[in-house]
Amino acid sequence: MTTLRRFLSPLLILAMILGSLPVAAAPQGAGNELIGTQAALQAERSSDARERIHEVLARDDVRQQLDAQGVDPADIEARVAALSDAEAQQMADQLDEMPAGASVVGALFAVFVILLVTDILGLTNVFPFTR
Amino acid sequence: MRNQASYPLRNARPAGVLLLVALALLLAGCASAPRLSDATAQKLPSRLLHDDVPFHAQRDYQCGPASLAMVLEHQGVDVSVDELIPRVFLPGREGSVQPEMLATVRRQGRIPFVIDNRFESLLTELAKGDHPVVVLQNLSLPAWPLWHYAVVIGYDRPAGELILHSGEEARRRESFRRFDATWARSDRWGFVALPPGELPTAIDAETAIEATADFERVQGAEAALPGWEALTTRFPNAAMAHFALGNARHASGDAQGAITAFQRAVARQDDLTVGWLNLGLTLREQGDTAAARQALERASALPGPWQEHAREALSALEASTTSD
Repeated sequence: MTTLRRFLSPLLILAMILGSLPVAAAPQGAGNELIGTQAALQAERSSDARERIHEVLARDDVRQQLDAQGVDPADIEARVAALSDAEAQQMADQLDEMPAGASVVGALFAVFVILLVTDILGLTNVFPFTR
Repeated sequence: MRNQASYPLRNARPAGVLLLVALALLLAGCASAPRLSDATAQKLPSRLLHDDVPFHAQRDYQCGPASLAMVLEHQGVDVSVDELIPRVFLPGREGSVQPEMLATVRRQGRIPFVIDNRFESLLTELAKGDHPVVVLQNLSLPAWPLWHYAVVIGYDRPAGELILHSGEEARRRESFRRFDATWARSDRWGFVALPPGELPTAIDAETAIEATADFERVQGAEAALPGWEALTTRFPNAAMAHFALGNARHASGDAQGAITAFQRAVARQDDLTVGWLNLGLTLREQGDTAAARQALERASALPGPWQEHAREALSALEASTTSD
């Protein structure tokens, strides 16, 4: 058993190293690939590599946030994929503060009166009957 | 003593009235009716209505999906509000956020262009661009926001009114002043959804390039190709647009067209490393080694994030030519 293990371990290590080589070699092989428009624009925007890594991680954040907001898990992947890098970053950083079309006003009486006045002044458009 | 005590009370009423008037004036002062410049006023027709924009009444909080369905259907995209809801609505927020509104347009094969944030641009887009515009308004005050998406379909300048499909009301008329007050709270955010190949009237090259690149990322180079062609026509001096056109042509199998586009890109911006690099790589694919070497040498000589990549491509070229 020990001899077998002694024999197997170096083999396994070797296999794993070889297995990981193509991945490590990929950037070299890319010498023949054209630079994509997205990559070129991104490099123009942010020369900082850390910033670019941050943009990649942003999509993971958005996935989690959409899940927390009650989006059907089956829809999440396609929704995240349709976002641009900048949008994904924006959502990852500040989804909570973002305006979401069609929220409701906190129905406080004082607020009601203020909004009624501003509606009549033509500054807001909360109550249809003021028009 | 009694006399003295009543003084503050007697003074309080006029002071209160004064305060209210001042507050009203202050608030009203923030929102005067938007004015058009004379040049724009002369160019635009005085009345306009896009009669062919379908209306979908919103249900619950779903003005986002409803607005999207209206503009997409107007564009000939066959998609219903019910199909759009799971793509854009956020149940936790009981609404839809701006990035996802744009992302959903992309998924439907149209390019979302956020328009220039001025009242004039909105009217110009409606009249000259001939498209309805989706806008984000805050119908309430900043402290208690009531965010709302609506579709602007026309205007009536003599009456000073904008015409919108909004909420549960088709062709609602809203005064310019009231509309602009509510629209200004979203920083006058609005977008048009256009098929690749069409561009909004008021847009700068950089914004248009970003929007098209974002679309390409989702829909692929072939779908974006007409968009890049249109961009190079509208902004013939934008090197990045020619570069992107070259990439899209290359990805669609048009190598000769790609070479032409890359050449135009570097002719407009001599230090565009990615332009020289892609030009060299495409030339090499086509077997034009001498020209490829020239382009790659130019790319390797330029400092920047792509220099390393260019040097590798050049040495790969040298290696393959010596082994031949």
